[in-house]
Amino acid sequence: MPHLKTVYSKFQTDPGVAFLLVSIDDDAKRLQRYLDEMKFPFRVVRASSAAMQRAMGFNDLPSTFYVDRDRIVRYQVLGFESHGDSDARVSWYIDQLKQQAKTH
Amino acid sequence: MTSALVAQTPPKDALARGRKAWDQRLAQTAIAQLEIAAKDPATAAEAHELLGRVYTFKGWQQDNVMPGWHDEPAYRPKAIAELKASLAADPSRASAQEALKTAEAFAAAPRVDPAAPRPEIRALDQRIQSFASEPKADADAFMAAVQERIDAQADPAPYFAAAQILIEHGQYDRGVGLARRGVEAADRFVEQNLSAYQMSGKAEGSRARARTQAADLEGQAALLQKDYTKAAAKLEEAERLSRGLDFNNQLHLAQLAEAQNAAERARAHYLNVLTLSGGFGGAPQPARDRAKQALQAGYDGSEPFDAWLEKQLATKGEERKSAALKSLVDKKLPALKLTTLDGRPFDTKSLQGKVLLLNFFASW
Repeated sequence: MPHLKTVYSKFQTDPGVAFLLVSIDDDAKRLQRYLDEMKFPFRVVRASSAAMQRAMGFNDLPSTFYVDRDRIVRYQVLGFESHGDSDARVSWYIDQLKQQAKTH
Repeated sequence: MTSALVAQTPPKDALARGRKAWDQRLAQTAIAQLEIAAKDPATAAEAHELLGRVYTFKGWQQDNVMPGWHDEPAYRPKAIAELKASLAADPSRASAQEALKTAEAFAAAPRVDPAAPRPEIRALDQRIQSFASEPKADADAFMAAVQERIDAQADPAPYFAAAQILIEHGQYDRGVGLARRGVEAADRFVEQNLSAYQMSGKAEGSRARARTQAADLEGQAALLQKDYTKAAAKLEEAERLSRGLDFNNQLHLAQLAEAQNAAERARAHYLNVLTLSGGFGGAPQPARDRAKQALQAGYDGSEPFDAWLEKQLATKGEERKSAALKSLVDKKLPALKLTTLDGRPFDTKSLQGKVLLLNFFASW
């Protein structure tokens, strides 16, 4: 997840882009410890694991969804990405959706 | 086991079976047997204590003890309840008092470290590995050492470790046989510990890893026996199962391509090894070095090798981007019940009109 911080630094001043992290932790103490360590610069919220898996259709973590300006989920990446250039791909998904928004 | 059989089991046998299953980390059987033993006054104190210890492990100490395992906070109150039940059955039971003190300290602690690897299991693993460097090792002694490790803990690791050694020593059939048994062991082990994986995708991943290892070992054995058709079938099966992310498998596919004089294909697999990141699931430095050396040995272009390599890796990155287009979903973002860290409701509609990266994670 540290790579999301790297990518965010590119978009943090862009009012047209938002990052939202959803924790499905049961253990609030542990989550807080993790957040203290990671110091994410974007919003983190909590939800029930079962409800999120049902709603979004994932069964592995981390799972990332890219949602366009019209609230349509366009891309999904389920489970870990283990290629070295995953930072570049996260930016690329966002850029795709930004370009799409402009042509509307 | 049918319920009729269980009903006939004397509580002492159930207790012994539960203890043995737990030693082997077969949690489901252990819990079922210990619950039977807990119902009989003669074995209640000991069975409740053991259940308390199992739940203490599951609640606080199992994080990554096996690949894909995470703590299960739901077991924490159960651990304390079982240990109290043990002391209710026998107030003077010192080991249960000790275990309850530990569990209560865990409950109050800001963090609890995972259980350390068991020294007896490590010693048995090292004994299997000691045969790797002895070409004239006694095959019966080796198989006995493997069986001892299999009996001590039911995870699939010793099957694959032993299969690798056998194949490297030319004992192909025995090695392949063990690798196949490893898949069965993995399925059973995952089933017995299903809740420890937290998400079905993690359990599936664990089963797929075992199948990847077995197919890759079988492919290696075929490659060493120069049966290239079979090697290709098995190594490609492993590649499908691992979604191309297993660096060992990519190295073996490169070796197969070299054996078949397919330089272009070998190069593609060596490049795959280098694009796997250093982090989760990535290739370690020795594998990367090996891939890089092989690429350099086969390189006869005019531009400097490093510049060429950089370009090749960039091309791979572009290929993955186009492949990413296939992940197109196109569905309306459903309403999600979210709460902020201080417990207030949060609605994603507040982010309307923005491009949104929505990431689901857990701290484990």
